[in-house]
Amino acid sequence: MPEPLLTALGVEAGYRSKQILFGVDFTISRGEVVALLGANGSGKSTALNTVSGFVRPSAGSIRFDGEEIAGSPPHRIFRRGIIQVSQARDLFPDMSVEDNLRLGAWVRGAEIEADLDAVCTSFPRLGERRRQPVRLMSGGEQQMVAIGRALMGRPKLLLLDEPSGGLAPVFVGEIAAIMTALKGRGITMLIIEQNIKLALTVADRFLILRDGKVAQGHDVRTGAATEEDIVRSIYL
Amino acid sequence: MILSQLVISGVATGMLYALIALSMTVGYRATTVVNFGHGDIVMMGAYAMLFLAVGVGMPFPLALALAASGLFLFGFLMQRGLMAPIIAGPHLSLAIMALAVGYALRGVARIEWGNDILLLPRPYAQNAFLLGPVVITMDDLVITGSVLLLLLLLFVVFNVTRIGKVIQAVFQTQRGAQLVGINVPAFHCIMWGAGTTLGTAGGVLLALIVPLTPDMGVWTLVRGFAAMTLGGFGSLHGAVIGGVLLGLMEKLLGFYVSTVFIDISGYLITILVLLIRPQGLFGQHATLRV
Repeated sequence: MPEPLLTALGVEAGYRSKQILFGVDFTISRGEVVALLGANGSGKSTALNTVSGFVRPSAGSIRFDGEEIAGSPPHRIFRRGIIQVSQARDLFPDMSVEDNLRLGAWVRGAEIEADLDAVCTSFPRLGERRRQPVRLMSGGEQQMVAIGRALMGRPKLLLLDEPSGGLAPVFVGEIAAIMTALKGRGITMLIIEQNIKLALTVADRFLILRDGKVAQGHDVRTGAATEEDIVRSIYL
Repeated sequence: MILSQLVISGVATGMLYALIALSMTVGYRATTVVNFGHGDIVMMGAYAMLFLAVGVGMPFPLALALAASGLFLFGFLMQRGLMAPIIAGPHLSLAIMALAVGYALRGVARIEWGNDILLLPRPYAQNAFLLGPVVITMDDLVITGSVLLLLLLLFVVFNVTRIGKVIQAVFQTQRGAQLVGINVPAFHCIMWGAGTTLGTAGGVLLALIVPLTPDMGVWTLVRGFAAMTLGGFGSLHGAVIGGVLLGLMEKLLGFYVSTVFIDISGYLITILVLLIRPQGLFGQHATLRV
């Protein structure tokens, strides 16, 4: 059996004196889409930020593509191919859509034009607004820029933190379609999503975090768990 | 006629303040930390130039290049070794660290050069030209021309080059920059070094028109800080405009009201702007790490 793309073992992490993760274990295989579910405060974002290097783990191991990455700074982890779309999006507000997208590929520095055209084709709204500063765009459009910017970096693993969070229903549908399309292209993803229906539409597997540990994991494809079962697992 | 003369002179002095304010703003925008030791870094740039050009006897351009490189390295290492380890700590620690570095530099200057008042010889003849009834000195031309050249260079770097986009990106959101793989801590060091290099340029231009003393950093910091505050903290063009306005205000109030204003304009501007319009002319309401 091939080694998973990402293996987290016994990861402990937190902020200053407050520990959030208490020995998190999970794996993600190539091409797989895994949804990380859990109640507020269960440690979902901390887990994602620990993988992307924004939070330094105090214990445990994170292996990615055969290399240990636990404790590496975000820019090194980015260069290995783990690219995050954060909950706040963290776009460059005064820059145009195109500049934001280009910066997504600045580390690579090559073949930017082709990727830019590909992203603008995948997201026609962005293609139409290439020169527009992103601060003038709606939340849903900004989310598209954030996902497009991440794709410009050619991720081996895409981390999505609440991609539908705070968006109007029309955009939630669009984001779901985008995620399904990315899955169709074989992009490996780890997703945090409060919208369980959306998470189950896209994910192959879900993990439930509770009190900083993985409490349960299910394969969505087997149909073993319904939405109601999952909500019960998260909150009860 | 007097008014025109005062305006010319005020603009030249103001350009110098603009450069110092800009050099502080570059470091501040990159790290969101105000370098309260920056005035002493400007002073050290001037002394480094004096040491290399007069002490060692190097040609002026070579001495300038070496002084600027040396101070870049100093700024880079100051950020890397002294500021970065405590950057997540309380704001007060950062302010005190920057002040401590400034005081240490002042101490070094005092030990090395005592309290002597030294002069950096001009590398050009001290001529003056008549433009109608207005006298324009070579100092005015050199200072204004040098600052304009540096501003043009910075404008091109920021707006035309690829690295300029990266600089703008980090200025707008550091977390966003990290999300696209930019090494933000290294960027902090480079920009802090860029700030000290620009400060050195300011120090050298200043040394052409005023005598060097180890305490000149205080004078410099007050002017730079006032120009930054007036233009709006963090605004690059605000720092430039703030500097020019401060230079004009010093000359005009100094002549028409009282010479006292030459010395106190910087303080007055800082106090009035913070009271009346804290965001300055072009700044935004932003968090400030001191």
